[in-house]
Amino acid sequence: MPVRPWGPILLGAAVLFVFLLVLWESHWRAFGAVPGYRNSDGAWAEQRRRLDAEAHDGTVLLGSSRVLFDVQLDVWEGISGTAPIQLALEGTSPLAFLEDLAADPDFHGDVLVGVTPGLFFSGREIRGDVLAYTRDQGPSQRSGHWLSKTFIEPHLAFNDPDFALDVVVSRLAWPERSGLRTFPPVRKLSIQGPARNTRMWHKLEVDADYRALVQAGWMSRLAQPPPHMNTPEKAQPIIDAQIARAVAAVATLRARGVPVVFLRAPSIGPLYAAEERDLPRARTWDLLLQRTGAPGIHFMDHSELQGFAQPEWSHLAADEADRFTAALQPIVARSFEQLRDR
Amino acid sequence: MVFNSLTFIAFFLIVLALHSLPLSWRFKKFNLLFASYLFYAAWNPPFVILLWISTIVDWYAVQMLVKSEKPAARRAWMVLSVIVNLGMLAYFKYGGFLLENFAVLMDGAGIAYTPPDWNIVLPVGISFYTFATLSYTLDVYLRRAQPARSFLDYALFVTFFPHLVAGPIMRPTELVPQFAQARSTSGDQIRFGLALMTLGLFQKIVLADGFLAQPAETVFDAAAMPGALDAWIGTLAFSGQIFCDFAGYSTTAIGAAMCLGFAMPDNFRFPYAAVGFSDFWRRWHITLSSWLRDYLYIPLGGNRLGVARTYFALMTTMLLGGLWHGANWTFVVWGGLHGIYLAVERALRDRYRGYRPGPLALFLLGLLTYTLINITWVFFRAPSFSRAAEMLTGMFGGNNAAMPLLPMVDLVMVSLIVAAIVSTHWLMRDRTLESAVARIPGWCLAIAWGLMAFAIVIAQGAGSAFIYFQF
Repeated sequence: MPVRPWGPILLGAAVLFVFLLVLWESHWRAFGAVPGYRNSDGAWAEQRRRLDAEAHDGTVLLGSSRVLFDVQLDVWEGISGTAPIQLALEGTSPLAFLEDLAADPDFHGDVLVGVTPGLFFSGREIRGDVLAYTRDQGPSQRSGHWLSKTFIEPHLAFNDPDFALDVVVSRLAWPERSGLRTFPPVRKLSIQGPARNTRMWHKLEVDADYRALVQAGWMSRLAQPPPHMNTPEKAQPIIDAQIARAVAAVATLRARGVPVVFLRAPSIGPLYAAEERDLPRARTWDLLLQRTGAPGIHFMDHSELQGFAQPEWSHLAADEADRFTAALQPIVARSFEQLRDR
Repeated sequence: MVFNSLTFIAFFLIVLALHSLPLSWRFKKFNLLFASYLFYAAWNPPFVILLWISTIVDWYAVQMLVKSEKPAARRAWMVLSVIVNLGMLAYFKYGGFLLENFAVLMDGAGIAYTPPDWNIVLPVGISFYTFATLSYTLDVYLRRAQPARSFLDYALFVTFFPHLVAGPIMRPTELVPQFAQARSTSGDQIRFGLALMTLGLFQKIVLADGFLAQPAETVFDAAAMPGALDAWIGTLAFSGQIFCDFAGYSTTAIGAAMCLGFAMPDNFRFPYAAVGFSDFWRRWHITLSSWLRDYLYIPLGGNRLGVARTYFALMTTMLLGGLWHGANWTFVVWGGLHGIYLAVERALRDRYRGYRPGPLALFLLGLLTYTLINITWVFFRAPSFSRAAEMLTGMFGGNNAAMPLLPMVDLVMVSLIVAAIVSTHWLMRDRTLESAVARIPGWCLAIAWGLMAFAIVIAQGAGSAFIYFQF
């Protein structure tokens, strides 16, 4: 070991470390960030395990980011008396999770499945490996999640994947590389609570530049359908395959007395237009309901589910999500009841 | 648990606090043993049983070996230990690989054979602790080491958590004596140990995971053909990633052991400044290369039995060394390439025995060595031979029509980081980290330490496993 004044060196390093950390935290708070819980695999696994540990027979929410942002657990609980378990995952088709519940003989709750056309009918799964993670999660990963959730996440605003060092570096004004097709990165959109209740980040509502950045991100992705689905002939077999998965899972759940209801949450503006252009309702949603025999709630069929503020066209603003949930919950409850009465 | 996790930070603080209490040395050793089993069980608790089997079998095999008077009996106990250890390794690590290859052989012979599903989870670090325990039996059998006097010391040698899952691969003579005598740790030792841990975690979390892993993955795992620039940057990214990942682990492990008052050997000595491949293997994964030299190359004859036997021993050692890294033929080819490099180097050294390169020639030979090592990394990282072939074709200009894969940020960051790594290795080529630290002003060390710690926190690592855990 080299002989050095290690005490003063450690002290100097600690002072610099704390100073820089305070500076970094202040920077992101000035940017509008507030502390929130991470939408991590560990957080999802914790909610999924509640189904086993609590023998939960209430409502389970599956879907993509629209169910995550638009359905507010506390509002739902205020109306129904029980908070649903939030298992929706951004950028991810819910079908694998519906199949997971179908394969769980002990599950007897109700299931609301969000349908975002570009994800559900393509089978895209950005977070698809979370099921394997949950199955294989070791004791150290569980304790790490608990430590993070208890000591770090509620206190630090910079603790968000969107503010990680490599992400910040990648967002600098780098020259474009000729011939490389890139999409603007999906930016931070939400703040999450301890039970994965998620609300739109306030910045999207008040900062027009930031909002425009997010809108540009969606439009660059939806400017044209993905190459493997860019004609009806190519797309339909993929759509049919996804619907077939849903049919099988719903049949298994129905045989066990588990009601399943599909939800097409609102999207507006150019985003809705692009969705209808590439995956029109008649070739997707209508077929899904027809083949599964499950009821569906499409926002276009319910006037009370329309007209909400959606700053970046895809998700509801935070306060609007409360109003939306209050309007949605009774419709969903009625659908579940009708299914049980059949 | 992995070093780059909150669980490890909490675990290590508790272990360090208990180890610092004014308690008996025996209690402290029990504390370390219990902590090490906890460290291992945090992945998958049942696999602790394998550790116990390995520990107990080797302990009793060596006890019996020492008591045996007849050479045949000594040999039998040694063979038992080798069979149990290599048997566990073969079952868990190579079972699926052997079955797949057996099926291919049968198919070649016209016999239809479908191997059973081999869904066996590979116990973390089994290759490392198997080699550590084997060295104990073999050293005692070869009368290079005395058997441990205490089962506690021996069990702690096998299990000691800093080296348990990814080395450095310790020899009993290096660690057992350190457990035999009570040791105290000075405040400066703890502080230097923490500085080493910070350096190791910076390499892993910031450089390997933060900036190098993604470009390597983008190129190696893409379906598209890579052009020359992307293929080279992807390969250079992996060369930096695997160094920062593994050297980062070793540095963290050495730092953790130092905080507890124990010394562990260097595992890396600035390998990308190597001139020639024998030099590379004296600098890269030093504890593995010395293990392979002592327990494989030399027993196979080494360089004592003529030229042909030397080359045979060299190739066999490197091929098996490649297979040790993973149950895949791509690893065997990686080892084989290193074997060929070493053989060619040996032949050239014999041919040009009096040659002493000047500074420019030394640098160019170093550059050639690094370039050829990058070729081997292609086989190490590529998921298949076909992808390795596509990568090599790209690297040598055969995919001129390929579309770009990496954005500008990756091209720039990989180039900067890899250039910094290679430059640092050249600057430090004939020095040690300790000698450099002794010469740097204290305020510089404080700034570097503070910046590295800050970068680790804001990188927000996801606690990904170290690459060598899978081996």
